[in-house]
Amino acid sequence: MSKSEKKIVLKSLDNEAFEVEKAVALQSQTIWVMCEDKCVGNEIPLENVTGQILAKVIDYCKKHAVVDGDGDESSEELKNWDTEFTKNMDQSTLFNMILAANYLNIKSLLNLTCQAVADKTKTIDEFHTFLNIENNFTPEEEAQICQENLWAFDD
Amino acid sequence: MKEAECRNWAEVPPELTSSILHRLGAIEILENAQKVCRSWRRICKDPSMWRKIDMRNDLDVFGNLKPGLEKMCRHAVDRSQGGLLEIEICSSNLRRLKLALCYPITEDGFAKAFVKLPLLENLEVSYCSLSEEPLKVAGKSRPNLKTLKLNSVGYRRPGNESDDEEALAIAATMPRLRHLQLFGNRLTDAGLNAILDNCPDLEHLDLRHCFNVNLVAEVEKRCSERIKVVRRPHDSPHVISCWSQLPL
Repeated sequence: MSKSEKKIVLKSLDNEAFEVEKAVALQSQTIWVMCEDKCVGNEIPLENVTGQILAKVIDYCKKHAVVDGDGDESSEELKNWDTEFTKNMDQSTLFNMILAANYLNIKSLLNLTCQAVADKTKTIDEFHTFLNIENNFTPEEEAQICQENLWAFDD
Repeated sequence: MKEAECRNWAEVPPELTSSILHRLGAIEILENAQKVCRSWRRICKDPSMWRKIDMRNDLDVFGNLKPGLEKMCRHAVDRSQGGLLEIEICSSNLRRLKLALCYPITEDGFAKAFVKLPLLENLEVSYCSLSEEPLKVAGKSRPNLKTLKLNSVGYRRPGNESDDEEALAIAATMPRLRHLQLFGNRLTDAGLNAILDNCPDLEHLDLRHCFNVNLVAEVEKRCSERIKVVRRPHDSPHVISCWSQLPL
């Protein structure tokens, strides 16, 4: 196989091009299917992912491809790397990473990012502020929820 | 942060929100997540959210069990609408466990659960496909078991389908039983005698639809002398349904 066949170019929504090893990119089922179909050349356009997010996705895939390939890192180290990877992501990045992992169909990355959100957010206030979700219940619905949640008081 | 970057999570496709909410425990969902917004509440009410119930984080900041856990757990089970596959309860204070219509339950899973429940006093395993082996495990690890309900759908041909294995397992491993319900069991007088010999505290005994038992002569005498309430093989099965409780 020539050198060029082993590489693939991923093009982001904002036209940023990333040349990566095929083995790295094929962790995405979506890219894998595109390559199988042979309907694309060596350059794959990813219309839903910005360059900023794609760069992070590629970082993740590179890390995981290396480990799967030569097994020189323990799964413990990989887990720590994953934790660090999501630890300081702001909510906007995490949000876009989840959407990207979903679109690119990278199961392990989707699990990791969904878990990160679940771990970072616990209280109702955190859900509202960290995830920027509006409380859109009507007063009637609020009352109904209160009624349903009486388990803590009438034991 | 730019306005465009400040994304609203309510816009995430429901299946992704559901994937995130699946990672929260039942208590977090019931106490917090379902109160966040309408679309989250809809997802939290869907039975598919409740195939696996995880009752972790059941302690408050002081290390005490949170109030209302039992109600929350019942509520969670109700939400599964019969689709429950797995339930995880970290509390080792559990005293009563009821498994009904749990066909996929394995003997291994049953044994593992038992090791974690040292205070269990009341066990119901009804309409499940368990053999006598897990019963022995249960009895041996929980000699304090006071109530056992082991109900089955019954059988068609009494006499041809007799089996004392379960009765002998009970007799051998559960000496402190006070309430025993064996609806539709295949035991014979031999199995019943073994139970009467080995469970001196027995107060309630339900043998409805146990058509291999002939409550006559000596066996009849032993039962009526020793046991406060006996329900006989031919008593009406309609008095209590499979979901009801023994008088305790």
